[in-house]
Amino acid sequence: MRTDTPRQWSERARAWGLLLPALLWTAAFFLAPLVIMGLYSLWRRSGARLVTDFSLNNYQAFFAKGFLVESLVNSIEVTLIVTLVSVLLAYPLATILAERVPPRWQRLALVLAILPFWTSYVVRSYSWLLVLSEGGILSNFLLDLGLTAEPVSFANNRGATVVGFVHFFVMLLTLTIYANLKQLSPSYRKAAADLGAGPLRTFWHVTLPLTLPGIMVGAFLTFVLCIGDYITPQILGGNKELLLPQAIMLQIARRSDFPMASALAMILMAVVSLVYLACARWLKIDRV
Amino acid sequence: MTSRNRGITRRRGLLLGAAVAAASLSVSATASATEELNALVWCDHTDPALIAPFEEANDVRVNLKEYEGTGSALAIVEQSQPGDWDVFVIDGVDVPRVVEAGLLAELPADQLPLADTFEQVKMTDVTHVDGKMYAIMEKFGYNVISYDKSKVDPADMRDLTMLWSDKYKGRIAVYDYYIPLMDLVALKMGMKPSDITADKLPAMKEELFKLKDNAAMVGEVVSSTTALATGEADILLGGGEWAVAVMQAENPDLDWVLPDQGGILWAQSLAVFKDSKKKDLAVKFVQYIMSPEGQARLATSSCFWGMPANKKAGAVLTAEQKTALRWDEQEGFLAKSYRYFIPDADLDAAMLDVWSEFLQH
Amino acid sequence: MARSFITALRALPVWLYVVLLYGFIFLPVGVLVLFSFQESRLPIPPFNGPSLRWYEAVFADARLMAALGNSIAVALTSSLAAVVLGFLAAYSLARHRLPGAALLQGFLTAPLTVSYLIIAMGLLITFNQLGVPKSLLTVGIGHVVINLPLCFAILYSQMGAHQANIERAARDLGAREWQVLGLVTVPMLWPALFASFFLSVTFSWDEFIIAFMVSRFDVTLPVEIWSMLRTGLNPKTNAIGSFVFLISIATVLVLDLVVFRSRKA
Repeated sequence: MRTDTPRQWSERARAWGLLLPALLWTAAFFLAPLVIMGLYSLWRRSGARLVTDFSLNNYQAFFAKGFLVESLVNSIEVTLIVTLVSVLLAYPLATILAERVPPRWQRLALVLAILPFWTSYVVRSYSWLLVLSEGGILSNFLLDLGLTAEPVSFANNRGATVVGFVHFFVMLLTLTIYANLKQLSPSYRKAAADLGAGPLRTFWHVTLPLTLPGIMVGAFLTFVLCIGDYITPQILGGNKELLLPQAIMLQIARRSDFPMASALAMILMAVVSLVYLACARWLKIDRV
Repeated sequence: MTSRNRGITRRRGLLLGAAVAAASLSVSATASATEELNALVWCDHTDPALIAPFEEANDVRVNLKEYEGTGSALAIVEQSQPGDWDVFVIDGVDVPRVVEAGLLAELPADQLPLADTFEQVKMTDVTHVDGKMYAIMEKFGYNVISYDKSKVDPADMRDLTMLWSDKYKGRIAVYDYYIPLMDLVALKMGMKPSDITADKLPAMKEELFKLKDNAAMVGEVVSSTTALATGEADILLGGGEWAVAVMQAENPDLDWVLPDQGGILWAQSLAVFKDSKKKDLAVKFVQYIMSPEGQARLATSSCFWGMPANKKAGAVLTAEQKTALRWDEQEGFLAKSYRYFIPDADLDAAMLDVWSEFLQH
Repeated sequence: MARSFITALRALPVWLYVVLLYGFIFLPVGVLVLFSFQESRLPIPPFNGPSLRWYEAVFADARLMAALGNSIAVALTSSLAAVVLGFLAAYSLARHRLPGAALLQGFLTAPLTVSYLIIAMGLLITFNQLGVPKSLLTVGIGHVVINLPLCFAILYSQMGAHQANIERAARDLGAREWQVLGLVTVPMLWPALFASFFLSVTFSWDEFIIAFMVSRFDVTLPVEIWSMLRTGLNPKTNAIGSFVFLISIATVLVLDLVVFRSRKA
């Protein structure tokens, strides 16, 4: 360190200077709030007052109250289903876009896929409610085709929530998988074909492993965004069951019980961190 | 890679960005030369037809924040600074505990038309504390049963227990507000709402679970009334004139009734915050809402309808509106209805837990 | 002839899949736009239009229009801040060897793994604790928090060795640091800068939960729509949703013509 030339020292100072604004912002408005929330989760709410002695009361209450643990389980279940279905639907679409669609039209195809998501998220969710409701488009469609005798409802249940989520995440995953596919050199697959592998084996042993990073990035984003989302289950789920974000909002909106809400938020973060650790090796940012 | 091309791109892009930014900032910069009044209200107060006349007459801007459920309102107040709020629309029965929390200012009783309100709705036992008036009732209605009379047997709707039978399985929407709904469950069990105690909760939970099995969905004002409108559900438990009157013009099959076991009376009141910095303006607002014209507009407001507390509003309402509100049957209804039961903090938390389990079931 | 027919037939399931999936993606938007022209009060079948009354109602609604302006303002300013902060941080980490670089990188991108709901809650509790009043400013702050990691990640991944060489050349020719930064690096990274700005605007524009929790009276469009929905379901919501949709399409077209076309020329 003492052998630093003045130029190296000023360079280092400049580097820190450039970095500092972003660091300070993240520390002040991201890290500090999380720490404060962590503190809150260890405090309690009694009547209208905040009791600031540390205790694991809230976490104990979480495990004691059946409906809270259930909300976490429901959230994980729904998120896993959504991720799986979205990946299964998006992969073929991404492949078709990357390989079958003429390159001239690929950008247009992508833009078309993203376009519907530029309506307001809240309004889009309500549109799904109307499509799936008993007097809605889907019901009328089935009636007209003669497949059902009476109006049918697909809304106000977990299925509707899943449909609402999958609608958005299919688009997201298509993008990440497509980006991955475009980066692949076609020579890998040609080499496999030259060595005598059929299309199925090529896919399984060559293409799939090579596109795994794209899948994992998309799947991880899907998981994080889906498990923390409040609107879609609130609008489409009909309160048939409670998911964790809804349980959190109940604590905040109806009881102003920030300690309990913070504890639930900490638990949610812990779950997401576990998933992150499991996917870590595909989620590194590399330089070009 | 000619720098000329790049230059055009970058410059054009930057100019475009700057133009849009300038345009948007000018759009959102509201000229706040007029005075402002901040009100924490139920959704029926956000109807421009109600607020605009007051704003124009007094040259003020009324900022409205709406909420559902007194717990939410208290949460909002708690998360604000003193002086943030001026006017409060609050469930009548919750006034005592809000007064106790030191939030409300005394109202000038002589300047408000208390004498003109319906007798049973005056509720001076809750709006007055130690002889001082802290709130005035502005609107009331019932949490009972709304239904589509082309799809269900209206005679069945007079009996609460029918909703627990299999006849209407999957056809019922439940209004998501735990206090009146649990009071209705108490009525079904043969109790009065004021009889609810902690030891009765397990039995109530059982009833609620059975109800959930019969329910198509549970939702707040919009989703539950939408369910009724789209045909997703044929019955709304907890509904009343407030749920159907708005839609009756387009769907005359929607109706509501007080079951034989009795109804739950909801009554909302107006109050002024103690820390408000604009008390005179706030009182003016209260006077406007309590005037016959204000009452008539409030009664037929776009979010939900309800009976105006001021009888003189009857002169301003049209005949159709009064029929929809069942103006002439009010005396009978009021005789058979019970107020919301207000639990203490511990019982309240316990009831909320039971309700959360109901939602989760 | 037969051969190309069979090839076409084989391709049928592929194109059927594409059609079905695109149909699925466009279904709610199609319904949305269709029923924005509904005549009656409820945006459900049967369709009895077309009528422009709900569009009239939208433009007459001052609160809605104010919220629209607020959304644009918040999106543009917070995205600008996010891009600037992200760019400076990316440049710093990409061009210098700082101790603990991996840790710093992880720290800056950490917000990507935290749900918006939790970020919103954290900010709400913190602002309450500090007595900071809620406003569009606090919403903007929250939006920078969620967009900064994104901008940083995109820009960092684009600062490769190729650009470093050009910067070194500029320095050798006598340019000072700020000149290198402003006159060499920024123009070179223009596509990435633009992409991160555009993405940030997209996320901020439609973001609901942070805006909902840390704003008071001046709200953004998604929050105003949510409040509007609470006062009754009607085609007015469809109208504003369709309007937003149209604006987005128009913006993309304009950008395409202005920014992308001239680059190809």
